[in-house]
Amino acid sequence: MTGSRSITRRLVVTVLVLEFVSALALISAIIVHERDVQLKAFDSSLIATAQSLMGAVQDNEDEADDVMLDMRSVQVGKAAIFRVEDERGRVLGSLGDLPPMEKPSSAAPVFRDADVNGRKYRFLIFHALRIVDPGKPSGGVRHSITIIYGTPVRHVWHEVVEAVRFFAIATAVLLGITAIVMAWLVRKGLSPVHDLAREAERITSRDWHFEAPESAKSTAELRPLATALEVAMARLQRSFEQQRRFTSDAAHELKTDLAIVKSSLQLLAMRNRSLEEYSKGLALSLEDFTRLESTVQKMLTLARLEQPTSSEESSSAIYSCSLSDAIEDAINQSQPLAKFRTIDVSFESKADAKAPLDYRDALLLFSNTLLNALQHSPDGAAVQIVLKVGESKAWITVRDHGEGISEKAQAHIFEPFYRGDPSRSRKSGGTGLGLSICKAICERAGGSIEIVNNHGGGALVTITLPAEPLPSALQASSVSLKAQ
Amino acid sequence: MRVLLIEDERRLAENMVAALRESGLAVDHAADGEAGSHLAEQGVYDAIVLDLMLPLKTGQRVLRDLRRAKLNTPVLILTAQEGKESIVNLLNAGADDYLSKPFDLGELLARIKALIRRASGVSTPVLVVSDVELDTAQQTVRRRGRPIDLSPTEYRILEYLIHRPRAVVSQQELLEHLYDFDWEHHSNVIEAHISNLRRKLNVAGAEPLIETLRHRGYRLRQEAAAL
Repeated sequence: MTGSRSITRRLVVTVLVLEFVSALALISAIIVHERDVQLKAFDSSLIATAQSLMGAVQDNEDEADDVMLDMRSVQVGKAAIFRVEDERGRVLGSLGDLPPMEKPSSAAPVFRDADVNGRKYRFLIFHALRIVDPGKPSGGVRHSITIIYGTPVRHVWHEVVEAVRFFAIATAVLLGITAIVMAWLVRKGLSPVHDLAREAERITSRDWHFEAPESAKSTAELRPLATALEVAMARLQRSFEQQRRFTSDAAHELKTDLAIVKSSLQLLAMRNRSLEEYSKGLALSLEDFTRLESTVQKMLTLARLEQPTSSEESSSAIYSCSLSDAIEDAINQSQPLAKFRTIDVSFESKADAKAPLDYRDALLLFSNTLLNALQHSPDGAAVQIVLKVGESKAWITVRDHGEGISEKAQAHIFEPFYRGDPSRSRKSGGTGLGLSICKAICERAGGSIEIVNNHGGGALVTITLPAEPLPSALQASSVSLKAQ
Repeated sequence: MRVLLIEDERRLAENMVAALRESGLAVDHAADGEAGSHLAEQGVYDAIVLDLMLPLKTGQRVLRDLRRAKLNTPVLILTAQEGKESIVNLLNAGADDYLSKPFDLGELLARIKALIRRASGVSTPVLVVSDVELDTAQQTVRRRGRPIDLSPTEYRILEYLIHRPRAVVSQQELLEHLYDFDWEHHSNVIEAHISNLRRKLNVAGAEPLIETLRHRGYRLRQEAAAL
């Protein structure tokens, strides 16, 4: 499973990372804030202690009215370092090793950070005035005292870490809970996917039935997939069934034709016969065999036409076939049958056009359509063919005056081996492949074919083909071929 | 013996009818299921050859209706469809045999004859009554080992009578089972054929084989048939 990516894992990891990042941001904010607060408190305590040191500067009660440091009432912090000087640089009192530091000139208190023996210290440098004997008429003696007081800052950080630790632990616990809940939720949320997969797994080449489970259909994110699967499956099933039906129908057709040929020959061989009987039997057998051949031929034609056109072929589709010529040829071809049935076939066209068809295919298309019309026409009726040319399309209509087609047949009429009557009888001749071949030719050329019932009775076949109109000199030509 | 062929494929039916007639059977042909069903239910056939894909009424329904009408005529199904399932269903629905297209004409004839034989309780192609042997495969007749030359109709009458031992067979029944609709037939034709048959079967010192029961019909002699 190294190559597979898990949505669950990715989701959980994403959420956890986001949560972790926001926790980090929060903790950083807390650290900054806490440090600020703690530093302020630290600085205040520095000031307070420094002031109490200042308070401890007392009159020395000597001649010079000097001052001294009385430490009795002063409490300094742990590991504190201080030095108290007067204006002459006399050290009144000190504790610890004060690192060398420049004294600010201004009177305002100044904070300085410094390292003492590897420890971080924060110092306050503080100037103050001490007046000895202010009550004297001279106004007393003024002493400018400088106090430098510092304590290690480590315990500030200690406080900050203390405060942050709580948040860190809470975040870790929260992350853990989130991971578990997320994993469960996502897995539960993805269960329709598993349902869908299980349902899809049941599809076999025999059983194409697929109905997306309710759980998948009621999930907004899965509905498009479930519906698409259903539609695709239904389509596949349809085409698969069509193929299967075609194969079975084709087998039936071929077997029947084979049975005829075989029985004809076997009948002939049953006993010794006269020369006349033999020649008659052979002629019949040949006829039967020709029919078998034509069935095979039509099947092969259909198979060829239904093969997907390669892109190379379709791009080089040349508008080379004159529709008018092909229709006239088809009419000429069907002349014997039309004559025999005394059917009048008329052809009317205002302009000619070229279609992207092979000429033989076009001829096959029109002669099959015409043959179909003739077969369904009563004797002595008329069949009208009209060619209309548009800017990029041509329409060919073939109209007969037969019995028309039933509503039931309309849905299936272009299916291979479908014959208008439910019997599948071969009486009407043909194998039931003619119209399928027509449809395949039209679709291959990017056109279409449809059959509807005429208002005045009979069927109307409309063939639509992509076409380029011909600026023909034969405009408004109207050809009518009388069958009689 | 009279056979009904229900097959819509014209050329195939023509060939089968010709072959069946040449092998000594009377044949009627129906080109669709409804006509076939109608004919089959007259009960005059000794076997029915039934195609499955028929116009108007499918072979399956023809078979079902035949069995519903309590007719036990043996039925041989012709099918061009694949799949064993439908064959099992058909056999269960009362078919007796089946052949798939394209079939062998000789095999079809042999199977039809076997069906007719079995329907009357005989399992070999050679029927024996008393000292008469009738070979249905070769269509030959011998009495006491001596070949007897019979016309096709005489042969068919004898074959039919042997298939119905001890029963009195009327002229009407013989007409129904020996001739199809294509024949011009009258009951006195039967009489003429029977008398010819009697004459040809007559061997010195032997009992006459066929008995005439006035106004009722014919039957093979009891003692002869009992053997």
